[in-house]
Amino acid sequence: MPGKTPQGNGKKPVGSGVRKTKDVEMTDASKTKGKKGAKDTDEEMTVVVPPSKASKQSSKADAEGDVSMDEDKADEDEAKVDPVVQTVADIKSNFALLDRAVALFDARFSLRALRSISIIRKHLTPDIIAQVISDTFPATVASGNIAKQLLLAVGRENAPLGRQGGSEMEVDADPSKASPKNGSKKEHKDIIPETDIFLGILVQVYLFDSKQFQRGAEFSQYLSDRIQTLNRRTLDSLSAKVYFYYSIFCEHIAPLAPSPQSPVVAIRPTLLAALRTAVLRKDVDTQASVIVLLLRNYLLTSHINQADLLVSHTQFPENAVNNQVARFLYYLGRIRSIQLRYTEAHEHLTAATRKAPSSNCALGFSQTATKLLLVVELLMGDIPDRATFRQPTMEVALHPYFLLVQAVRVGNLEDFETTIVDHADTFRRDGTYSLILRLRQNVIKTGIRMMSLSYSRISLRDICIRLQLGSEESAEYIVAKAIRDGVIEATLDRERGFMKSKEVGDVYATREPGEAFHDRIQACLALHDESVKAMRFPMNQHRLELKNAQEAREREREMAKEIQEGDLDDDDLGGDFDGM
Amino acid sequence: MADRTLAQILAQLKHSPSMSYPEANALLSKAKLALLKLNALTPASATPAHILPLARETYEQGALFAIRARNPPDFTRYVQQLQPFYELPSNILTPNLPERNKVTGLSLLLLLTQGRYAEFHTELESLANREGGDVDVEGDRYLGYPIRLERWLMEGSYDRVWKAMKSSEVPCDEYSVFSEILKNQIRSEIASSSERAYPSLPISSTKSLLFLDSEGDVISFAHHRGWIVRDGQIFFPDTTTSARTALRPRR
Repeated sequence: MPGKTPQGNGKKPVGSGVRKTKDVEMTDASKTKGKKGAKDTDEEMTVVVPPSKASKQSSKADAEGDVSMDEDKADEDEAKVDPVVQTVADIKSNFALLDRAVALFDARFSLRALRSISIIRKHLTPDIIAQVISDTFPATVASGNIAKQLLLAVGRENAPLGRQGGSEMEVDADPSKASPKNGSKKEHKDIIPETDIFLGILVQVYLFDSKQFQRGAEFSQYLSDRIQTLNRRTLDSLSAKVYFYYSIFCEHIAPLAPSPQSPVVAIRPTLLAALRTAVLRKDVDTQASVIVLLLRNYLLTSHINQADLLVSHTQFPENAVNNQVARFLYYLGRIRSIQLRYTEAHEHLTAATRKAPSSNCALGFSQTATKLLLVVELLMGDIPDRATFRQPTMEVALHPYFLLVQAVRVGNLEDFETTIVDHADTFRRDGTYSLILRLRQNVIKTGIRMMSLSYSRISLRDICIRLQLGSEESAEYIVAKAIRDGVIEATLDRERGFMKSKEVGDVYATREPGEAFHDRIQACLALHDESVKAMRFPMNQHRLELKNAQEAREREREMAKEIQEGDLDDDDLGGDFDGM
Repeated sequence: MADRTLAQILAQLKHSPSMSYPEANALLSKAKLALLKLNALTPASATPAHILPLARETYEQGALFAIRARNPPDFTRYVQQLQPFYELPSNILTPNLPERNKVTGLSLLLLLTQGRYAEFHTELESLANREGGDVDVEGDRYLGYPIRLERWLMEGSYDRVWKAMKSSEVPCDEYSVFSEILKNQIRSEIASSSERAYPSLPISSTKSLLFLDSEGDVISFAHHRGWIVRDGQIFFPDTTTSARTALRPRR
């Protein structure tokens, strides 16, 4: 089956594009998207046309698949088509996907619809949204109210509803697309809630891009209330997105985050309620996304205790979307690193950086996670791999950390202090400052280690001068502590005031190689487990087999009956039983 | 009426910080009852603005009395009750920075002496983002003290910790309550690292190493740790044999 990964990758830019280091992100997202457009479509095609779908569904699905292929071709051929018409058509083509998601009860189609937001996003204007809404919603009272809310949010409350006929005329002007579209649209008798929530998300995206945060937050509140009343499983992935934008809006409303008055704090009850509902409804998408949002929320106001409690009292869904897992692991790593549980933090952060999409679309996330991972590695006493700093996408962003690693590696306290002073603002912005301050002891330890390796005997006075420790007594205590902690193999002579290193034995006689192997084997086994878990099986496939089995049994019974009645030839018998 | 009694009790408490804990406790209970009548045990939006500072002060006094009486559980409780007050925005309750930092610094020190480093760092992380916390956390007289102590303890610069515990360095009286605990803590740290680091130690220099007052103290301390004292030297049980064999071939 076309796997989960391509979808996950595609979806990411919407999410993390907004989240961190905005400037890097946005430009990157648009850059990649520009050339991605064409590439994306054929990727989508492989994903969409389900090759092994059950036979009765396949006719419809195939037809649809053809449609989308035609469209794609049309897109490429007529690149100069009016962008407004184009976008309207794009949005509408997603309704078909949502429809199918509801009909087949398969969340992948809604995910595909969500994924296309990033492409639509660039052309989104209130007029386009208004046009789609007025085309889509008939002028009945019930749907009129919903449409009114949506229109109100984009400031086009006067747009008339139910212009179906008119719109068809418009689209008809572009015949290659319009004809299949009309066919599918006439099947719509009433508007499914998925469609209007999807339009709601588009409104959210538009409001966010045009920086109308206050209105966005109010609209999001209305939208999330509506989702809560709807209670449809096919809405799950859509509602996850709604909450995501809701919380992003709140983050941007003044007073900004660390202040206790920020709307970020006010949104918590809503999110917690959403989490509870999601868990009760086994709504994995919303559950994962809301947990991540809550963690982010707590960390923004430095409520680390609450975040830790949340983690310990909830269970992150195992089969959540890859991107949410990556984010969750990142936040978890942050919490653990603050709590000095470096080994766990390291584990989570490594997993987070590996799970982050490898394409450039989520560069900000990778950078942020890598920065934190580097600091944690340093805190654990490891020196990060130099190759990390050579990656072209990371080089500039990681430069301050590179200097830091250099200072720690050599054990040069002076360089270390100057690096901290020079780049204090960067570190503070990255939220790693307080962690980096803890590194001082590591620098000292490495310094002692270097000296113990280079000299068989060195006076405490020299150690004190080299490491700028202030006094010989301090040096003595520090070296003694280093010996006790197993940093160096040495002894101290108090009367004559020197440190004498022990001979370094053969590394291969120690447990070191065994431990290194153990680490690697563990990583391989974990990878294997995850791959097994990530396998997907088409829904209802087993029913088909069951049906076959039942048919076979039926045939057998018939045959037995026929044998009883004695009207079966010998060769007939042999032939049939061979096949069983 | 209740707020007047509250103000009276507070004045009384502040006036005589040397009051014994049971007496102070009785007064504090009355104050808390008054707060309950005013419905101001925890800050709510309905709580009148002039009561909030009184409530905060009650808890702050309670925390200080508890620490003077060396009663960590009570202290922790008061500090936790103070948290909602400290999180109030400054336009509702003007923060009283010195008192707040004093209590927070004390609670940091308590975490440090109890070896709860994870909580210590968690607390530290939230300090930087506190309202009105634009001031340099490390530069603050009360907050900087536990932070520096922690850094030195982690590094192993025990002599600096020792110096910092002298009365002239301690930011205020309440902080010296922890000195005794810290002294014992660093002494045992030093002892455990000495066991590994030195083959043997002369008694005379062990005295200064362990910050003990006399050689008699050294010997009793050595016996307490199970060290062997012979010929004016201290040998450490597990390392003595290996240290001697290491020395012998060279002679």
